[in-house]
Amino acid sequence: MLRLIGRRLLLMIPTLILASMLIFALAEVLPGDVGRSILGPYATEEQVQLLNEKLGADRPLVVRYTAWAGGFVTGDWGESALLKVPVRPMVLEAFWNSLLLAGFALVLIVPTSIALGVFAGLRRDSVLDRTITVSSLSMTVIPEFVSGIVLLYVFAVWLKWLPVVAMPPEGSPFYTRLYYLILPAIPLMFLELGYIARMARVGTVQVLSMPYIRTAVLKGVPRHRVIFGHVLRNAMVPTVTVIGSQVGWLIGGLVVIEVLFVYPGIGKLMVDAALSNDVPMLEAAVLLVAIVYMLANLIADIVVAFLNPRIRMGG
Amino acid sequence: MSDERDTPFGPEPDLQNRVGQLGDDPEMLEFRADAAAADRNVTLPGDSPKEQGLEADAAAAAEQKRQRRYLVRALLRSPTFMIGLVVVLFWVFMALFSAFVTQSFTAQDAANSLQPPSSAHWFGTDDLGRDVFARTMAGARSVLIIAPLATVLALLWGGIIGLISGYYRGITDEIIMRAIDVLLALPIIITSILILSLFGKGTAIIIVAIGALFTPVVSRTVRAAVIGEREREYVMAARLRGERSAFVMGREILPNITQPIVVEGTIRLGYAVFTAATLSFLGFGLVPPSPDWGLTIANQRIFLQIAPWTVMFPAAALASLVVAVNLITDGLGRTFSK
Repeated sequence: MLRLIGRRLLLMIPTLILASMLIFALAEVLPGDVGRSILGPYATEEQVQLLNEKLGADRPLVVRYTAWAGGFVTGDWGESALLKVPVRPMVLEAFWNSLLLAGFALVLIVPTSIALGVFAGLRRDSVLDRTITVSSLSMTVIPEFVSGIVLLYVFAVWLKWLPVVAMPPEGSPFYTRLYYLILPAIPLMFLELGYIARMARVGTVQVLSMPYIRTAVLKGVPRHRVIFGHVLRNAMVPTVTVIGSQVGWLIGGLVVIEVLFVYPGIGKLMVDAALSNDVPMLEAAVLLVAIVYMLANLIADIVVAFLNPRIRMGG
Repeated sequence: MSDERDTPFGPEPDLQNRVGQLGDDPEMLEFRADAAAADRNVTLPGDSPKEQGLEADAAAAAEQKRQRRYLVRALLRSPTFMIGLVVVLFWVFMALFSAFVTQSFTAQDAANSLQPPSSAHWFGTDDLGRDVFARTMAGARSVLIIAPLATVLALLWGGIIGLISGYYRGITDEIIMRAIDVLLALPIIITSILILSLFGKGTAIIIVAIGALFTPVVSRTVRAAVIGEREREYVMAARLRGERSAFVMGREILPNITQPIVVEGTIRLGYAVFTAATLSFLGFGLVPPSPDWGLTIANQRIFLQIAPWTVMFPAAALASLVVAVNLITDGLGRTFSK
């Protein structure tokens, strides 16, 4: 097991280095002139030249990449081109905000979708099963800003059950923050609902057809014990796998939902940095997201390996 | 592969198949390979590989036609596929002809801004007094230009890369797959934000960006399908016949993996609609006064509290298109897997 984790971590390093080169290339090499892309088309040639010198963008590529990547590792993430403040505290604060929202969404996603999937699987081919499957898949394929805005209208504008914004007033206690996060978290839940529910359903259907379930039922084990003891546990493995594979969609969803709800997370930060050509901010945020994305995939793989004894033992 | 298929049109004429695909019998195969090799040296009239090929082609074509007819019938009977198709065709019609059936989607009328739905304006009016019904119908155009073209690009690039890496395997495959891992190291929406923020806005750039970002996934699917085919007898026969690799990939393998490619294409189309709409919502796509749905939702959402119709109708339109495309995918997938 430890060897598996170690090997995967080692494999992550080259991919990460290549990904950082890709980000660097996209952000600094391909546009040609960093100073120009920050200052825009109306700046004079001298201004662009000056900024390039200040940023060190006139140095050779290898030097620039090493300086940038080295700076990231040692904690010097550069200075925002727009706000003239260090990038790191801003990116990290936004990152924690996003992590809170994503974590809260995951807490909602997992039990809801597993419950729906198992429920549908237990009543296989019934009207209920069809309804759950079709509606959860539809919710998954609809863009999150569409479902988000409909929910915003229904629950915040029309019924007034939930606040319109995602951030409570300064100094509110933690549970108030969570209350404000309910509405943004639901469209994120929809984004994953269909896939996870479908996996849970398939898992349930498969487990139910196993001989040991028939044995359990025939020997008189109560229905809820069969469901909780056998069905749920065995339907979990494919479900966890699919949750892991959906992390990328969750991050994409975060970007959109944060923009829709004007929530100061890393997604909104990236979009703002991209729209205002704040190259240092954008690079740092994207690289951080890439690292987190890879780590999340790794954790998902480890959890799956842990749940599956064949992989766990084989290591 | 065709041997296992059940058709409602009685038993398949097996012989034709065998001529077309050179059978499974190793002796037969050897014989054919020998014959083909001999043919290259001594060309007898009427027995050239070309004419043999023509015969086989004709048989294969008839076979394909039958198969296609069967598929079309099954699809017409699938309710999910038909509902999806009707909705998509509706939006295609609107994208092409909405100018002839609705009011102008650009005409402003400041005196009648943010009016609720009425008989004059079925979906109400927006902040500039423009007809929301006309804008919602016209909004189909941009997404129906971007998404299909991006999908075609992704299928083209992904198809070529997948064929090459699946056919050659070895070091070529290894390098291509590692490169794909790196491209997939970032969530797609984030890479597209990076690309679009640097190359500027515009329909062509969005199409190329989405096409490029979907290429890795398509090439993985194609590669898997190619690997399933490359050890089959007909590929081996073509190689022994001395065909060039490009010919074997393009004319022998490709026609046999069209089904997974079609299914992959419809899946990508759904995602392309999703991604294109999301990018224009985020402000990386089109610019006003385009009636694009994502853009309209982004711009009109400040009126959500006083004039929700300006946002809700484009949102419903976008939702209907995305769900419809996915219903088609579902119908195709089910029919093919039968």
